[in-house]
Amino acid sequence: MSAIDDLTTELARLPGIGRKTAQRLTYHLLKQPADQSRRLAQALVTLVDTVRTCTRCFNLTEAPLCSICSDGRRDGTLVCVVEDAADIAAIERAGEFRGRYHVLGGRLSPLDGVGPDDLTIGALLARIPEDEVTEVILATNPSLEGEATALYIQRQLAPLGVRVTRIARGLPVGGDLEYADGVTIAQALQARRDM
Amino acid sequence: MPLVATDALVLHAFDYLETSRILRLATREFGVQSVLARGARRSSQRFGTALDLFAEGVAQLDLRPGRELQTLSGFEVLRVRPGLASDMGRFTAAAALSECVQRLVIEEHAPVAFDIIRLALDGLTEAAADRVVPLTVGALWELVGELGFAPALESCASCHEALPAGEGAPFSHAAGGALCARCATRAPGARRLPAAAVVALQEWVAGRRPGLVSDAEARAHQRLLREFLGEHLLDARGLQAYATWEQGRWS
Repeated sequence: MSAIDDLTTELARLPGIGRKTAQRLTYHLLKQPADQSRRLAQALVTLVDTVRTCTRCFNLTEAPLCSICSDGRRDGTLVCVVEDAADIAAIERAGEFRGRYHVLGGRLSPLDGVGPDDLTIGALLARIPEDEVTEVILATNPSLEGEATALYIQRQLAPLGVRVTRIARGLPVGGDLEYADGVTIAQALQARRDM
Repeated sequence: MPLVATDALVLHAFDYLETSRILRLATREFGVQSVLARGARRSSQRFGTALDLFAEGVAQLDLRPGRELQTLSGFEVLRVRPGLASDMGRFTAAAALSECVQRLVIEEHAPVAFDIIRLALDGLTEAAADRVVPLTVGALWELVGELGFAPALESCASCHEALPAGEGAPFSHAAGGALCARCATRAPGARRLPAAAVVALQEWVAGRRPGLVSDAEARAHQRLLREFLGEHLLDARGLQAYATWEQGRWS
């Protein structure tokens, strides 16, 4: 296999990139200055060699502890449990949460063969006494599998006496009630609160 | 084939690329279909916000003969089943049911099979703990019967001689059901079923849902069904969701 075919094949493995686009990208890389392509290659090598999971929360990091876990201003007694590291970025964008995180690495899925041992639930349970955690916020996705995962974790946490909360579900800010679907409206009504 | 609309429910859903999802749908008119829902993770306009596992509604499909992956043009969600996630027994049972339905290869117009699956999920959504196994096992036996390979229970699966009513019988997966005493001697792997188990099987295949007396009885029926499906499924892959449910490890 030639170097051109080789790179095209590798690029075509990326999400959203078909064989034709991969070929275009390959020829583009050949046309641009060699130094630029070398910098891209070096960035990929550095990424693979240096990025790992945080030893405490399983977020992505280049150091043993991620920037959130090593930030002394964050409240270590409050832990938000998410399915994937990408969910942390979404919550951080909101700028409301000042606690720390725990990345499960997925969700329970009998159909996909993902069980509790495939997630970092054991490490979460160990963190509760170690970090003197007082509240765990379960922020798994509001899907059926996300809900089942939250239920499973809640059951595991119950003997530890820690407060367990679940993120709310309902209408999006700026949305229009008229165009919301029935399921979302039903859940928003169930989760209504006193004013 | 033009754009078609059919009743459908989601048997399996997983993310595809950044914004899309691939779904396995059980449909009333076209059996089990794999579909691509482009942008389903981002847009709620075409698919609603609840296009999730075990959701039910009306699917608009762009069906092209010969394609393994069809295109989902829209999905009007009419019913979701959050109750299935409020109990691990129900959740794993629903997953086991879904897995078996996908493996039983329903390719054509199958309205009765669709209703069996739909009613079973409805039942599971609010089922008490002791009803989960009879509901799930019963639905799968009924589905097996509807698809044409129900176990022989009234007559010997090998020689077709009538079996005495109200009695236990040896049961051979390979032969396809209960055996008479004479044929059982030539089927060394046959499992002896008590009379109550034979009656329960008859009831389930006929679409009725009798309860079970004990946990041991429930476990025995889960095992019997797993062995039967293992004998008759087309491929040799194990049933992983069924195993999770049967072993009750998450409950």
